[in-house]
Amino acid sequence: MADVAAGYLPILLFLAVALALSSAFVGLPMLVSRLTGAHRPDPEKLSEYECGFPAFEDSRDQFDVRFYLVAILFIIFDLEVAFLFPWAVSLMGTGWAAWIAMMIFLTELALGLVYAWQKGALEWE
Amino acid sequence: MTYNFAAIVPELMLIIGEPILMLTASTMGRRATKITTWGTVALLIAATIAALVGTEPSSAGPLFGGLLSADPFAVYGKALIYLSAAVAIIAANSWFARDDEHGPEYPILILLATVGMSVMVSATNMITLYVGLELNSLSAYILASYRRTDARSAEAGLKYFVLGALASGILLYGISLLYGFTGSTQFSAIAAALGRDEAMGIGLLLGLVFTLSGLAFKISAVPFHMWTPDVYEGSPTPVTTFFASAPKVAAVLLATRVCIEALGPAIDAWRQIIIFAALASIFLGAIAAWGQTNIKRLLAYSSINNIGFVLIGLAAGGAAGVSAVLFYMAIYVVMTLGAFLVVLNLRNAAGEPVEAIDALKGLSSRRPGMAAALAVFMFSLAGIPPLFGFWPKLMVFNAAVEQGLFALAVAGILGTVVGAFYYLKIVKVMYFDEAEEELHYACGNLEAAFIGLFALIVSPLGYLLIGPIGSAADNAAGALF
Repeated sequence: MADVAAGYLPILLFLAVALALSSAFVGLPMLVSRLTGAHRPDPEKLSEYECGFPAFEDSRDQFDVRFYLVAILFIIFDLEVAFLFPWAVSLMGTGWAAWIAMMIFLTELALGLVYAWQKGALEWE
Repeated sequence: MTYNFAAIVPELMLIIGEPILMLTASTMGRRATKITTWGTVALLIAATIAALVGTEPSSAGPLFGGLLSADPFAVYGKALIYLSAAVAIIAANSWFARDDEHGPEYPILILLATVGMSVMVSATNMITLYVGLELNSLSAYILASYRRTDARSAEAGLKYFVLGALASGILLYGISLLYGFTGSTQFSAIAAALGRDEAMGIGLLLGLVFTLSGLAFKISAVPFHMWTPDVYEGSPTPVTTFFASAPKVAAVLLATRVCIEALGPAIDAWRQIIIFAALASIFLGAIAAWGQTNIKRLLAYSSINNIGFVLIGLAAGGAAGVSAVLFYMAIYVVMTLGAFLVVLNLRNAAGEPVEAIDALKGLSSRRPGMAAALAVFMFSLAGIPPLFGFWPKLMVFNAAVEQGLFALAVAGILGTVVGAFYYLKIVKVMYFDEAEEELHYACGNLEAAFIGLFALIVSPLGYLLIGPIGSAADNAAGALF
């Protein structure tokens, strides 16, 4: 029984360290700000931050559609990186065929970016 | 794995041409509309020729480790898809010309959808199937909402997207069950695993049901048809023209290949499902169309109705059944494109397109040629001899009777009679009702030539084509067995 419990020692240590560190991250700023006199709450500071929108509102609210465009472009290039990692790790095994296939994929994405750029999707105003 | 690029030249042409046209569109803006339109049409025609010419025996086997196949079945589908997509692009020209919504992206989106459909009819692996299906569907969602300023078009796009994503999820779930219980996504390996088991497990059966449900949505067979009338009505008419032609062919051929190649040994299981979907589509398509006042909605129900007859051929199975399905799709595309081309060119006094069936009143006295063409298409869709639309229905019923499905054939014939009512109603409105308002008809020469050509094909003269289309369909069907 003790052997089994010993096997879980790393996770126990991890949890203890995590608890200590996260309490410190939450507690320290509150403590330090009170001690140094920087603790001056106002409504702007106390409100939750959520992507620049007020957090609690009717969901049928209008917002700028340009956020969507940026978000979609972000997702595309984010996923591209998610593809690149396993590809890079296994490249020695998969060889030139995989290299060429990925280059074709990257070229297509680059062409898409050129299209979005020329259409003015990257300009905010 | 070996790479046989010679066998996928048609797809390569489209894939390489697409970014070039896309960058032309973004660099030149609206001025590029003419270039992208005719560039896409040229690409599609070149790809058709490449597909038809490049059918060497070496390319008939599995390609890329069994992901794709360029067998005669795929070639038949590709030729039909490319040509009907080209007609749909040309048909859009004058309709979009009246406002400046027609960006240069319209033909490019159709081109992308066409690449997807090309993969759909060639796929011999569930993963390739899904990739092709999604490329086609994603382009279609954008096309449905192409007129951004029109609330109905945006609604159609949203509805199509939400329901289409749901159907894709159901299809993927079915594919994952089939993969889990057979150990492969390869059509041939799934068929081999199905053939080994004597009794079908509940897991496999569920996988089959979910896969067929997903596919039934894509071919808009009852009970997964509910999106069709709304999307057909809301989308801009040229987009509806496209939806009713090429993607229908691709989805039907895809369903056929999955049923025969992957699920072939389980024919007793899927035949019941297909028979239900066929009869439900025929009768719902026929009865729900009675009360329609919008011609696009009516044609949507007409397409549901026709898919029902196609499914009778699939339910029959065997080389004769598949051949009947392929033949039916070729004639269906010609009739549907013809009917939509006429609808596309109807205008009221203000030059706005009209969609109400009442607007057709008295068309025969104003535009006799046009009314005659539409009447020919309607009679042919109803399957009334001696028009050519009668022949594929006969083939389908013949295949069903050969397999001993007498009840199905009789029910299908009854459905034809019920369905004939609303097709004849259109003819009655055009020929026997008094016109209420002035109806204009802005038809370009090219569109008029297409309408004339299609009317000629579905006229009794079309029977001359039974030889060539029939042998092509037989050859294509033979590739699956």
